[in-house]
Amino acid sequence: MPTPRNRLGDLERAVMELLWTTGPRRTEGVTVREVHDQIGVERGLAYTTLMTVLDRMSKKGLVERERDGRAWRYTAAYSREQLTSETLHHTLGELAGGERRRALLHFLDESSPQEIDELRAALAELESREGVRSGQPDDESRDGTRRPA
Amino acid sequence: MSATALIALAVMLAWPVPRLLARMTAFRRAPRPALVVWQATTVAAVLAALFAAPAAVALAPGPGTGVTRTLALAAAVLVTGVVTARLLLSGHRVGRRLRAVRRTHRDLVDLLGLPPRAGQADVATGSLARPGGTVRPGGVHSGHLRVLDHSTPTAYCVPGLRQRVVVTRGALDLLPADEVRAVIAHERAHLAARHDLVAEFFTVVHEAVPGFVRSAEALGEVNLLIEVLADRSAVHATSAVTTGRAIVRMAGGPKPSGTMAVREGPSAARVRLDLLDAHRVAKVPTGIVAIGMYAFAAGLLAVPVGLLTLALA
Repeated sequence: MPTPRNRLGDLERAVMELLWTTGPRRTEGVTVREVHDQIGVERGLAYTTLMTVLDRMSKKGLVERERDGRAWRYTAAYSREQLTSETLHHTLGELAGGERRRALLHFLDESSPQEIDELRAALAELESREGVRSGQPDDESRDGTRRPA
Repeated sequence: MSATALIALAVMLAWPVPRLLARMTAFRRAPRPALVVWQATTVAAVLAALFAAPAAVALAPGPGTGVTRTLALAAAVLVTGVVTARLLLSGHRVGRRLRAVRRTHRDLVDLLGLPPRAGQADVATGSLARPGGTVRPGGVHSGHLRVLDHSTPTAYCVPGLRQRVVVTRGALDLLPADEVRAVIAHERAHLAARHDLVAEFFTVVHEAVPGFVRSAEALGEVNLLIEVLADRSAVHATSAVTTGRAIVRMAGGPKPSGTMAVREGPSAARVRLDLLDAHRVAKVPTGIVAIGMYAFAAGLLAVPVGLLTLALA
């Protein structure tokens, strides 16, 4: 059962997809009417639902809008690439700050490049300790696998 | 008497003990009991502080007692009151901030996440995310994996009720399939064991105490133990060597600018690598060491409870 919150997430996603795909061709943006025609009708959603969703998204800073007569014209505030970079930068490194880092659990904390050799040496030791297992055929088949020196 | 002992215990457990524990790095080889000892230490410190006032009140005889008694009672009530207030405030602040960051971030990855490419989905999740990105809500197993289309290799999880595991295309390109499995198993372990709550508890207490009592070392050690514990799951799902390779490859991957850190001493990655195949603490099998550590943790908790019981008896 989709929760209301999830349905809203899906809808926002569909709206962004639409703005991202039409964006390059329609730099002037799209109206609520057009968004409704494209994604609202097939979902059986009211025009006003889309209006509310777009209004919300503009408050969140995901979309930008400009007056065009009596209607608003909406464009994506960021390209998909920009928003992805932004999202990651919020979680990585100093830019993120302790709070953001702590909110998410990372596989690996930042690691300095001068340390890589040391890490490789430690891995080589681990591989030789575990000798038997590291010599399995499925290791050979992988390209780019670092072999113990 | 009990009240004084409780305050002394709280001070001991808040200041010298965590600093000492942080230095006992051999116990990282038994990460689960080590975390339990850390939790017991912290809970015992909090309990000791909270029990000080009830113990003092219980011991104070009727009206008309000496000035020193009144002062001791006032001190105990003050300690308990301040500790309670600071813990509640800190818990509220930390919890609200963490949840706000997580909510915003989860909405963004849901908006941006691509369904895993055919083949990758099987490897990474054992289940398929449906194309178009619509996913069933709430499921721990189904579709809470999100792939971000970015070249920086990284992986993390967004804890909470609507949890997510996030990997970048860069990570999937960099790692062979079995190492991806190790990384995902690591993140899943965080989510399944609610490591975020463990970390949150320590953060709350850390921020509740005055600055000079706080120990960054202790907080760092707890966070490291959580990673070591998640690595255990990755080793279990794959092998020590595969998990080790994943760590090294991720550490060596390209980084966005501005994320380099200057650090003293070995990094968490280095420590984790050395612990992947650790089965003994100082030549004793970890199972036996663990029994001792759990007993120690239970003992720690028993002290403040015992002191309060004594006072109330």
